[in-house]
Amino acid sequence: MINLIVSRIVQMFFLLIGISFIVFMSMHFAPGDPAKIIGGPTATESDISSIRANLGLDRPVLVQYKDYLVGLFQGDLGYSYQSNQSVNEAIATRFPNTLNLAVASIIVAIVIGVFAGIISALKQNSWMDVFTTTGALAGISIPNFWLGTILILIFAVNLNWLPAGGLSAPFWTVQGMKELALPAITLGTGSAALIARMTRSSMLEVIRSDYVRTARAKGVKEKVVVFVHCMRNAMIPVITVIGMNFGFLLGGTIIVEQVFAINGVGRLMIDAIADRDFPMVQGSVLLVASLFVIVNLVVDIIYAFIDPRISYD
Amino acid sequence: MRKLFLLILAIPMILLAACGGENEANPEQGNESSESGESGEQDLVYATTSDAPGLSPIDTNDSVSSHVIEQIYETLFQRNTETGEIEPRLAESYETPDDNTWVIHLKEDIEFQDGTPFNAEAVKYTFETFLDPDRGAPRASLLAPIDTIDVEDEYTVVLNTSEPYGAMLAALSHSNASIVSPEADQNGDINEEPVGTGPYQFVEWEKGDEIVLEKNADYWRGEPTLEQVTFRVVPSVSTAISMMETGEVHFIDGITSEHSSRIEGNESINLQTNDGTPVYAFGVNYEREPMSNPEFRKALAHAIDRDAYVDTLDGLGTRSDSIVGEQVFGYEEGSENIGYEYDPEKAREIIEENNFDEETIEMLVPNRDMYINMGEVVQAQFSEVGIDVEMEMMDWGTYLDVSAEDEFDVSFFGWSNVTGDGSELLYPVLHSDNIGSSNRARYANDEFDELVDASRQTTDQDERQELIAQANELAVEDAIWVPMHHGVIAAAVHESVDNLELDATGSWELYQVTRE
Repeated sequence: MINLIVSRIVQMFFLLIGISFIVFMSMHFAPGDPAKIIGGPTATESDISSIRANLGLDRPVLVQYKDYLVGLFQGDLGYSYQSNQSVNEAIATRFPNTLNLAVASIIVAIVIGVFAGIISALKQNSWMDVFTTTGALAGISIPNFWLGTILILIFAVNLNWLPAGGLSAPFWTVQGMKELALPAITLGTGSAALIARMTRSSMLEVIRSDYVRTARAKGVKEKVVVFVHCMRNAMIPVITVIGMNFGFLLGGTIIVEQVFAINGVGRLMIDAIADRDFPMVQGSVLLVASLFVIVNLVVDIIYAFIDPRISYD
Repeated sequence: MRKLFLLILAIPMILLAACGGENEANPEQGNESSESGESGEQDLVYATTSDAPGLSPIDTNDSVSSHVIEQIYETLFQRNTETGEIEPRLAESYETPDDNTWVIHLKEDIEFQDGTPFNAEAVKYTFETFLDPDRGAPRASLLAPIDTIDVEDEYTVVLNTSEPYGAMLAALSHSNASIVSPEADQNGDINEEPVGTGPYQFVEWEKGDEIVLEKNADYWRGEPTLEQVTFRVVPSVSTAISMMETGEVHFIDGITSEHSSRIEGNESINLQTNDGTPVYAFGVNYEREPMSNPEFRKALAHAIDRDAYVDTLDGLGTRSDSIVGEQVFGYEEGSENIGYEYDPEKAREIIEENNFDEETIEMLVPNRDMYINMGEVVQAQFSEVGIDVEMEMMDWGTYLDVSAEDEFDVSFFGWSNVTGDGSELLYPVLHSDNIGSSNRARYANDEFDELVDASRQTTDQDERQELIAQANELAVEDAIWVPMHHGVIAAAVHESVDNLELDATGSWELYQVTRE
């Protein structure tokens, strides 16, 4: 286990250096000049060259990258071109919001997905099964921005039960739950559908296996059969899906944060790309990439706990 | 089945709504409710689609920052929202003993929010810092003609220009020329913690989320009524309107025709409009063939049915042939029809006579706001008269880059014209000095340049008016910019908000605003 963690961390280090190089170069060579965006359409040539010199963009690209890497090794992600805010600080203030949203969404996804998947497997071909599988198809097909807008119109504007936007408290507080309910449902629906499908097929496979029949033959209670004997084995592929989905959820936060006015890393990234705010883009991409790698590592570790047959040594 | 689905969704929401009720009833948690947007009687929440890059008039050059800056800081002069005239604000009066000297007498007994006295030294400090190349102010060109600044006495400052500067008063009323507290700038970062003389003072800024201001109780024109003003970032206009419907937001500006019908259909929201200074135009790249041919440009101008286009804007745009709009200084009565009327037959005739129908032209369209609509309308109208158009749509950042270079045939241009002055429109967008930057049409016409130069260099306002009108007519005749529409400033305002006035330039002051 220790070997796995150490080797993953070493891999992650090189992966992040590679990502930083690709992002840095693609931002620099993509069309769009940060100085022209800051200057706006009204800027004259002299305005633009003075902004460019101020940002250090008049130096060779490789020199700029070298300086960026030196900063990176010291834990300094640089300063925003637009607001001159420290990227570390910008990410530190926004990341908790994104994490709140992602965790709340994954909770929604797991609760709905696993529950629906189990019911649909146990009651195969019943109306409940048809309802969940149809619901899962709809959940995967509905775009986030549309679902978000519709939920706002129903639950915030018409019924006035929940706020239409903003996030000011963590997800475990009442205020946070009120604010996160709609965004988490919006973001979690797609993942819930995937989890439901995976749970259903995985459960169906396990239910038909010999050891479950044996357990039933021994007279073990149905609840114990389902929740102890079946679920433990059925959950291994489901956990893979959950782990992968957590990464995709981080991507999905970009849209949901826009729709629900949540000040998170997704929105920071999209604004930074539009403004060609290179340091901010690099910082947020590195953060999301690291999270992706860490979540995958955590999933691998959880496997070993759930299924003792899996060993990394 | 649908009912069951709604029920499953509704149960947790009802529980949350019920919990929320208890939360609001608990006075100890009062802060949480204000954070969630439910505000007091004299608090106002304004929704903006993006955060301000900074709060210093010296170091920023964008409309989001200006909206906040205009509540905290003040300029020496100010455009009167009703008359469009430029009037003294922090200045008391001015005189121009010669074309290169502006003697400005300042109002006395005014203090910045940090207690620093407002005087001639503060003005000198602000403008010298603004023009300092080391500071790298993004809008430094605004005051570039100022050569030296002298303090004559505590309340008299003299601006000496290197050449006569006709638009000086318009420049001094621009929010970027706001006067900053020298004390605050020297000892801190006014881009983060701004200090001005205005009616509201800075409280806190949660980056990417909200900026909070409170009233300046010692404001020299008297205390404002609003206790607190919050600039909240809501990236989606649709969400912002929903938040206004739930009472979480009270004011949104920059409303486009896409959202106007939703606002008009809601009783608790008023759509407030005012004819504005912005102009949006179809334009050519003057350096490229066949756009350099005046006949081809005429054919293009005849081919665009701008009445039909303006009808699609639901009243949020007005039609005029004149580049200098009715709300802009230099506009001449009757110039709305000085251009080429919609005449597809004539356009087709010119095109066939000159074999222009063999050309395919590349049209650059920024993928924001109304430009997409303009692009689609114009492309369809051009194809009707036999001009083949290849439309290239791109994001704003790429557009700013590509359109400043010689890399397109035709495109769409816009100018918000914050100074409201005609020469400050024609000089940046069509003068040959600015080819490669703001003159995206790459227009170079000596006669036009001379007229614009003269309008900038004379301080006699009647003469300036005449020169701007002549330059405008020449550019319209050359069909370089064909105005698609002149902007109408539009804002969604909650019914509880009173006395909000929108200036033609798109700026607004919250000083006189109250809530019922």
